[in-house]
Amino acid sequence: MGFLTILKKLRQKEKEMRILMLGLDNAGKTTILKRFNGEPIDTISPTLGFNIKTLEHRGYKLNIWDVGGQKSLRSYWKNYFESTDGVAWVVDSADARRLADCKRELRALLREERLAGATLLVLANKSDLPGALSLQQLREALELDSIKTHHWRIVRCSAVTGENLLEGMDWMLDDIASRIFSID
Amino acid sequence: MSLVGKKNESISLHETTKGDKFSNAITPEDILRMEKITDTYLCTPDANVYDIDFTRFKIRDLETGTVLFEIAKPPTDFGVDNENSEETSEEPLDPNAGRFVRYQFTPQFLKLKTVGATVEFTVGARPVNHFRMIEKHFFRDTLLKTFDFEFGFCIPFSRNTCEHIYEFPTLPPDLVQEMIAAPFETCSDSFYFVDNHLVMHNKADYAYNGVKRRKKMQSCLVLTILEN
Repeated sequence: MGFLTILKKLRQKEKEMRILMLGLDNAGKTTILKRFNGEPIDTISPTLGFNIKTLEHRGYKLNIWDVGGQKSLRSYWKNYFESTDGVAWVVDSADARRLADCKRELRALLREERLAGATLLVLANKSDLPGALSLQQLREALELDSIKTHHWRIVRCSAVTGENLLEGMDWMLDDIASRIFSID
Repeated sequence: MSLVGKKNESISLHETTKGDKFSNAITPEDILRMEKITDTYLCTPDANVYDIDFTRFKIRDLETGTVLFEIAKPPTDFGVDNENSEETSEEPLDPNAGRFVRYQFTPQFLKLKTVGATVEFTVGARPVNHFRMIEKHFFRDTLLKTFDFEFGFCIPFSRNTCEHIYEFPTLPPDLVQEMIAAPFETCSDSFYFVDNHLVMHNKADYAYNGVKRRKKMQSCLVLTILEN
């Protein structure tokens, strides 16, 4: 039994996963987190720190961290990378003007050594808005197809309608689970 | 469910000076080993050199989506309602007033299946590393539940929230009956560490024999826990 196998077994016992939600400010990270946990989403103010939820979902103990996306806070993101199993990168699909910014931040994230093994879920949020870009447009703008270093998927979703949030999250959990909990 | 705020005069710190030195001696491992509620606070209020300030507590029932209670610190130190001013002036100098909370629930509380407990806190000018909470709940000398959670890093001047959503521990029916019959013999110690140094210690006790939520009592609770 190799070292990795032993590690996997240790993690398996706890079935714990750490998910980090990041993205530019006003992308909808906190709204998604609240919607996912059945909380009202009518009074959400900018996150000037973090919001954590710990919960059980499908037998896993999830620790979800939503860290504020304002420019002044982004330099602190690195403090939350340790032990992250999955990154949920939240994009405002209707904010075409800041897509270049969005791409640059995502790229920087993917270069981080401590996130090397993490699964990437891109949540194309606010897809219900009239000006929302299509998945294909977002894929191209963010150059997702060039990502070879991480398992990734992009999902069209809306925190307001709840569309695809669970599906996206479940894909990420399955991907993480197949990586860290299964033996061989 | 109702909530009652009360200052606990029986709990005090016997070592009132040199708080820093004193609290440095307590490690998370010491706390995890403890088998009963502490008689005293294990650090002084001034051990909190990071200005960590709890600004909101909330408990909700996930089954129904109902918020069972929510209390928030007023935006300013002077934002306390006038109707409570009488109570404020009673014991204005108790240094431990902000560290103790008394909860009074109805028996139904013990039947909840899934609850979400949220805390919101702010931190001061210094970055906080390895912020960790260990909370132990007892009924008399029986340990009911231990929470051990690492918040990790906190950004200077940040406002942060953490909600633990958990299955209520299944307690044997006779224990539940005992807990209802013995108000305030269920109690908890909350310890907060930064870089393995104890910076805060809060206490609470609980009764489950309450009859009905009373608005006035709720405001008492706010007063007690958020006064300092």
